[in-house]
Amino acid sequence: MVAEDVKPTRKDLMEIKERIELSEQGHETLEKKRDGLIMEFMEILEEAQDVRESMEDDYTEAQKRINMARALDGDVAVRGAASARAETPSIELQSKNIMGVVVPQIEATKVRKDVGERGYSLLDTSARIDEAAESYEELLDTIILAAEIETAMKKMLEEIEKTKRRVNALEFKLIPELEEARDFIELRLEEMEREEIFRLKKIKNKKEEEAKEEARRRREELEAAAADD
Amino acid sequence: MTYTASSKYGVEDTESPNFEYVSARVRARKAQLFDEDDYRKLVRMSPNEIARYMEENGYDREINRLGARHSGVDLIEYALYDNMSETFHDIVGWSKGSLRKLVVSYLRKYDAWNVKTVIRGVYTDATEDEIRTDLIPAGELSEDDLDAAINSESVEQAVEALADTAFGDALEEALRDYKDEGVLLPLENAVDRVFYRRLLADAGEGSGPEKVYREYLQAEVDLLNVRNALRAAESEAVDLDDYFVEGGARFRREELQRLVGNREELVEALRASKYGGDITDAIDALEEGSSLVELDRALEELLIDFAQKMTYRYPNSVAPVISYILNKEREVDNVRGIARGKEVGMTVEEIEEEVMV
Repeated sequence: MVAEDVKPTRKDLMEIKERIELSEQGHETLEKKRDGLIMEFMEILEEAQDVRESMEDDYTEAQKRINMARALDGDVAVRGAASARAETPSIELQSKNIMGVVVPQIEATKVRKDVGERGYSLLDTSARIDEAAESYEELLDTIILAAEIETAMKKMLEEIEKTKRRVNALEFKLIPELEEARDFIELRLEEMEREEIFRLKKIKNKKEEEAKEEARRRREELEAAAADD
Repeated sequence: MTYTASSKYGVEDTESPNFEYVSARVRARKAQLFDEDDYRKLVRMSPNEIARYMEENGYDREINRLGARHSGVDLIEYALYDNMSETFHDIVGWSKGSLRKLVVSYLRKYDAWNVKTVIRGVYTDATEDEIRTDLIPAGELSEDDLDAAINSESVEQAVEALADTAFGDALEEALRDYKDEGVLLPLENAVDRVFYRRLLADAGEGSGPEKVYREYLQAEVDLLNVRNALRAAESEAVDLDDYFVEGGARFRREELQRLVGNREELVEALRASKYGGDITDAIDALEEGSSLVELDRALEELLIDFAQKMTYRYPNSVAPVISYILNKEREVDNVRGIARGKEVGMTVEEIEEEVMV
């Protein structure tokens, strides 16, 4: 808002003052929201760090176990057991609300299976294959949890950024511009008031001078009439 | 139950068994297996060096034949299987009469393996080439016998194509369960059950070496059952009945069904059995919370030792052949284990401790 666009009227001044008040209230609310989001984000971040660490551990363990199964039972046997899968895991996406931010909630089914639900026979597979399958199921479960948490984190970050932009826009642009406009109008109104007072003074002086002149002229006329008499 | 006309081995019962000749041949072959010294060298080599070492030590034909199709550890693994298949064919070729019947019966585990591989391949829409790559043609059925099944469009068609094999009737019967449940488990279990049933039936009822061989097979079945009972004990969905194989000497179906609900009692029963004394360390480890992997290894070693003792007792029987087959399989497991271990960056100590049998 530039000063030239502002009409220096009392009505506009009142409007601008109202907008400033509203903006300051909004700024305060958004600041609180931003701080709240950051606090929530920090909690999620901590959880995400734990999940990521656990995902790395699970991956290392799963790799170790599949390597052992591949080494001891051979690739062909591991592939055979893998191809016998009975049920493919499925995921269902739901959502939850954290401080107005809609984040996904992932419900996974049939990720962790009992050895009897994996579809391969116990007669031609070993405990090594059970362990490898179990580790990968655990890893998949952690990956799903990590996906949920990291997506929530991403959405929270986007919301924090958006809120920060709004807070900054209010704090550094809108409120200062409104204040500038308010100051401008106040200045202009004061100036106009001063001009008005000056003008009134001038008129008053002129009228006084005119009255003095009139009185002097009458006095002269009276003096002249008296002289004639 | 009959075999297809194109089966590789015709069982000729009329000839007298040539135990002495085959024992001498397998003893010579056993001497050619990789020994401690070879393994010490192999664990310090990269997969490519292992392939080269194999090429220079009896695997030249397989490495050269498969070299164009595979590389790295896959080349090693497929060369090992090919060489093992060729070796087992040679043994069947040397054997006559009842010995041949016993060897063919024992090697039928590879037929069972191949039939399951084909059915799995068809079930998962694997390509013909992918299925053929995973076959281990060490049994009686040749690739030609499996051709029609490999080219099948559905599991039902594959079962139909396998009708003339030893597994045909059992597969046909299990097909109903497959259709009901949609999983391969009933078909796979049917194949394994047929293998063990025929193996025990073919072992005969005689005394002396036949009796010891029967005892060996019973031990194999016992250990398979107890191992699966231990796996079932950790599960809520496994019905041991689906996996129990008849024919063991020590563990009866009812006993294991009862013990499967109490893991501690099951472990104690294994310790108290005639096998317990040879696997004390593994049982102790299991009781202390170790996984079943260690026990699996101990059981494998126990069977190899059993076969070796059987050989010392009856040097001119099927025993040396079974012992050789187990040792050849161990060579395959060890070399593959070393190569896979090296591929994934395991240390020499880790491979020696955790991989090698």
